[in-house]
Amino acid sequence: MRPFGKPAAVALAALLTLTACGGGEATPAAQGPQPLRMTIWTSNEAHLKLFNEIAAEYKKTHPDVGEIKFDPIPFESYTTTLTTQIAGGNAPDLAWILESSAPDFVSSGALAPLDETLGKAQGYEFGDLTPSAVKLWQAEGKLYAYPFSTSPFGVFVNTDLLKKAGQKTPAEMIEDGTWTWEKVAAQNAAVEAETGKAGMVVRDFDYKGWDNLATVWGGWGAQAWSEDGKTCGFDSPEMVEAMTFLHKSIFTDKAFPGPGTTADFFAGDSAMTITQISRASLLQDAKFGWDLVPLPAGPKGEYSVIGQAGLGVFKKSANAAAATDFLAFFTNPANSAKLAAYFPPPRASQLTADTMAKSNPLLKPGQLQKVVIGGIEKGVVKPNHTGQAELSQTVRAALDPLWQPGADVKAVLDGVCAKIQPMLGA
Amino acid sequence: MTGRAAARPAPGGRVAGSGDRAAGSTGNTGSAGSAESAGGGGRIRRARRAPGGGGGGRAFWTVRRRDNLVGYLLVAPQLLGSLLFVLLPLGLVLWYSLHEWNVLAGTFEFVGGENYDRLLADPNLGEVLGGTALFSVGLVVLNLGLALVLAVLLNQRLRGTTFFRTVFFSPVVVSLVAWTIVWQFLLQDDGGLNGLLAVAGADGPNWLRGEGTAMLSVVVVQVLKNVGLNMVLFLAALQGVPAQLYEAAELDGAGAWTRFARITVPLISPTILLTSIITVVGSLQVFAQIAVLTQGGPGMSTTVLVYYLYQQAFQFHHFGYGATLSVLLFAIVALLTVVQWRMRRRWVFNET
Amino acid sequence: MKREIPVRLKTLLYGLLCVLCVPFVFPTWWMVTSSLKPVSEIFAFPPRLLPADWDFSAYGQVFRLQPFAGQYFNSLYIALIVTAGTMAVAAMAGYAFARIRFPGQNVLFVVVLLGLLIPSEVTIVPLFQMFHGLGLTDTHWPLILVPILGAPGVLATFIMRQFFISLPGELEEAARVDGLGRFGTFYRVALPLARPALGAVAIFTFLHSWNLYLEPIVYLSSPEKFTLPQALTQFVDAYGGPMWNVQLAAASMTALPVLVVFVLAQRQFIEGLAHTGLKG
Repeated sequence: MRPFGKPAAVALAALLTLTACGGGEATPAAQGPQPLRMTIWTSNEAHLKLFNEIAAEYKKTHPDVGEIKFDPIPFESYTTTLTTQIAGGNAPDLAWILESSAPDFVSSGALAPLDETLGKAQGYEFGDLTPSAVKLWQAEGKLYAYPFSTSPFGVFVNTDLLKKAGQKTPAEMIEDGTWTWEKVAAQNAAVEAETGKAGMVVRDFDYKGWDNLATVWGGWGAQAWSEDGKTCGFDSPEMVEAMTFLHKSIFTDKAFPGPGTTADFFAGDSAMTITQISRASLLQDAKFGWDLVPLPAGPKGEYSVIGQAGLGVFKKSANAAAATDFLAFFTNPANSAKLAAYFPPPRASQLTADTMAKSNPLLKPGQLQKVVIGGIEKGVVKPNHTGQAELSQTVRAALDPLWQPGADVKAVLDGVCAKIQPMLGA
Repeated sequence: MTGRAAARPAPGGRVAGSGDRAAGSTGNTGSAGSAESAGGGGRIRRARRAPGGGGGGRAFWTVRRRDNLVGYLLVAPQLLGSLLFVLLPLGLVLWYSLHEWNVLAGTFEFVGGENYDRLLADPNLGEVLGGTALFSVGLVVLNLGLALVLAVLLNQRLRGTTFFRTVFFSPVVVSLVAWTIVWQFLLQDDGGLNGLLAVAGADGPNWLRGEGTAMLSVVVVQVLKNVGLNMVLFLAALQGVPAQLYEAAELDGAGAWTRFARITVPLISPTILLTSIITVVGSLQVFAQIAVLTQGGPGMSTTVLVYYLYQQAFQFHHFGYGATLSVLLFAIVALLTVVQWRMRRRWVFNET
Repeated sequence: MKREIPVRLKTLLYGLLCVLCVPFVFPTWWMVTSSLKPVSEIFAFPPRLLPADWDFSAYGQVFRLQPFAGQYFNSLYIALIVTAGTMAVAAMAGYAFARIRFPGQNVLFVVVLLGLLIPSEVTIVPLFQMFHGLGLTDTHWPLILVPILGAPGVLATFIMRQFFISLPGELEEAARVDGLGRFGTFYRVALPLARPALGAVAIFTFLHSWNLYLEPIVYLSSPEKFTLPQALTQFVDAYGGPMWNVQLAAASMTALPVLVVFVLAQRQFIEGLAHTGLKG
C-alpha cells in the first residue's frame, strides 16, 4: 500500500469528516428564491398536473419560493428511498407519509408541528378537520402531518353475479337489516358454488397484508392491540371468534378465495370486495352491475375502518417555515376541494354528499353518504404502532400457519401474541 | 490467436516471468515449473540496467523501477475506486454498526458492541442463516447443474443451437420486475403452472405458500433468470476442449460418461470455479425477487440474510443493526470466497 | 465428437431442448403479448398465447406518460460509458496484476477483490452520503462512477487478470524485440489479444448497468433523469395500481433490443471466448 497509503488516508479522513457532518445537517439557507421538494408516491399524470397547478398559483403570491418540485418515488420502495435520502442528509422539505409509518414519523421528532401555521393561516378553518381523521397524526396534542387522504373502506358488490346465484342484493339486505357478516358469507359461498367465481375478496390482503383484515374483525370488536398499544389483542376472545369465522369461511365454506388464488373484483372475477372507495374509478368501464355499500355488521354491530395518508414537513429542512406555509396553502379549503377529486378530505365541511359527488361522478349521493361520510366520522384507522413495519412483518410470519385448512386458530393467535407482546411492551 | 506472439523470434534473455510469478505467489500449480524458470530469467533481467537508457541522469529509471511505475499507474484507477467506493463505505458500515442510528429522529449514538450482542441474541438469526444456506446451496447446485446440462446439449453438433442458445439466454436481458411478476402469476395456486399440471392429471401444490415449495420456487425462478450467463461461459469452455482428447479416449474404449467425467470436467474446472464464485456471491445478494414473490414467508422460511438486512435497515429503521448484519454478510461472503479459492488447488485441473 | 449423432438420440435431444425452452420462453412471450392485450385480458385464465384483440395503444402511452425516449437515452448512454470505462479500467488493472510485478501487488489485489464480495445494499447508505456531500445526487455520476471504479467493476478486473495470466510468457519478449516499453506492450500487444475477454466483460457490464434498479431509485429524483428499470415502475393509475399493459410494453421495449444485439453478436462472442481460453 506504500505509494497510495498516504493520499488514501487523507481522502478517507476527509470523507469521514464530510459524511459525519453530512449525517443530516441541512445546508444553511442561501440567498434568493428557495426551492421546495416534496416526495410523493404517485406518478399519475392527473395528480401531478393538479399539484403543479396548485404550486404555480402559490408561487404567484410568493416570489421568495423557487421551484416547487414533486418527486415521485415508486410506492413499493417509497419508505426505503425516503429513509435513505434522510440518512444521506438529503431529506425533502415535505413528504407524503404512509399510514403504516405514521407513528414512527410522528413520534420520532423528524416532523415539524403544523398547528401554529395552520391555525393562523387566513381562511384555513383549522377546526374543520375531523378529529377521527387527525388522531393518527398527532402526538402530545400537536399535529405533525395533514391527513390529505382519508379513505374509508366499503364493500363493492357485483350485483350481476349475486343475481346469477339467486341471491338478494345488498340494498335489499340493508333494508331488511340482514346485511351481516354471517349472511354475507353465506351469499358468497353460494356465489362460489353456483357460478365458480370467487366470493369475497379482501383487497390487498392476499394472506400477507393482514392489517386489511381489520375491516373484518372490527365487526367482532376485536383489535390487533389495545388503544395504548401496549397489550396484544390477537388472543382476545373477540379476535379468536372473528378469526374462527374467517377461517371457516375461507376453508370450509369457500366464501373467500383461498391463499394463492387471485380474483380481481374489478375484472368481474369475484362477487364482492372490501377496499377503499377511491378504487371506484376502476369501475369506469365495468361491464357488470355494481353497488357500493358499508361494511356488513358483525356480532358487535356496525363499524367502519379508514385508511390514511399524511403530508408532513421535515423539521431539519432549511426551508421548514416556507414548506409549512406551502402546506397550509396546498390544503386550504379551496385546494382541499380540488384534491378531493382523488383523495377524500379530512374536512367536515367538505364531507357532504354534494361536494363529494362532484368529484366522484361514479358514485351516487346515497352511496357517498353511507360509506364515505359515515365512515370518516366514526372510522377506526387500520392497526398501527411505532415500529409498525417490524411488528407487521412479525405478525405476518406468525399468522402464516393460520392459512392452512387444519389450523388451530386459538393456538396460532396465542403464538402471534407470544411473538409481539415483547415488542409492544418495549 | 496466441500463435501470433509465439511465432515471433524468442531469443533468451528477457522472459516474461513476472506475470506467472504473480500468479504463482497466489498459489499457481499448473504452470509452477515455467514460472520458476521464468522467474529466474526475470531476476537476471532485473539486475541489469534499462537497455538503451541514454544519459547518466536516467540511470535512476531501471527496468524494474519503470515496471513498478507502470504497474502502479495501471492499477491506480481501480485501486482508487476500490478505496473510495468499496473500502471507505465498508469502513463507514463498520462504524455505523457500533451505533444506534435512528434516521427519523436524527440521533446517532455510540453504543459499542451492543448491536453485536443483539446479533448473538437475535432469535430469528438461526432461521435466517439456515434459510440463506438452503437458498444459496440450492441456487448454486441448480444453476451450475442446469447451466452445464444446457451447455453440453448445445455443444452437440445439432442444427438450430443458435436458436436454443438465444432462448436460454433471453431471461438474462428481461427486466427483473417483469420476470418476477410473470412468475408470481404462474406460481399461484390457480396459476399457469398448476393449470399445466392439471392437464397432466396432477394436483400441483400451492407453490408460494408451502414452506418447502416456496423456497424451491424462489430458487428456480432465480435460476431460470440467470442460468444463461453461466451456460454461455460453460459453452465457451467446452468449445475450448480439444476434440483429439475425446477421440483418443474413445479409442481407449472410454464411454460417454467417463469421457465427460475424466476429460470435460477437469478441463473446464477453471470455468466451474469462476462461475461458482460468481454464483455463490450473487446468491447472497438476491432480494428483490424474494420481496416480490414471498416477502420472506411463509413464516420466515424464505427470509435470507440480505433480505433480513434490508428489512432491518430500510423497513424497520434499525440502521445500526442493519449495518451489523451487513458486517456479518460480508464476513460470510469473504469466508466462502477464500474457501473456494483455496479449494481450487485440489480440484481445479489446471489453473491457467 | 465429429461423428454423426444417431437419429433416435437426435430426436431425444431436440425433444429435451424443446421442453426445456418452455419455462425460459413463456415469461418473455407473456410479457410481449400481454403488452398487446387490453388490461382485462392480461390475467385471464387460462392464459392466451396471442391477444384476442390486438391493442397497440399501450406503446403510445409509454411515450405519452413518461419522457420515455429520454429515459431510454439515459440508460443507453450510461450503460455505454460504464461498459467502455469498465473495459479500460479492468484491462489496465487486470494486465498489471497478471503480468507486472511490483511491491505490494498481492495485497492490492486482495484489496480490490473485496469489492466482489459486497452486495450493493450494504454500501448504498454510505455511498449516498458521499455523493450527497459532493452535490452529485440527482445526477448520473453515481451510476457511472461506482460501477466503473467500485464493486461492480471488480468482476471485470478479475476476468481480465485471469485472461492475461493465460497468455504465453513469450509475449513481453516479442514486444521488447519490437522495441516496445511496458505500456506499449500492454496497449499494442496484450490488449488486441484480449478482445474476447473484453467481450465477456462488455456483456456482463452492459447488462448490469442496463438492469440496475436500486441505485437509480435512490439517487435520481427527476423523471427526465430516470433510467429504464426505474421508469418501468412509474406507469401507474390514479391509485398507485400498476398499468399492466403499459408497464409490460415499456418492459418489452427495454428487453427486445438487447436480445437482438445478443443474437447478432453471440457467435463471435462465444467462439471468441472459446478459442482464447478464458477459462476462469
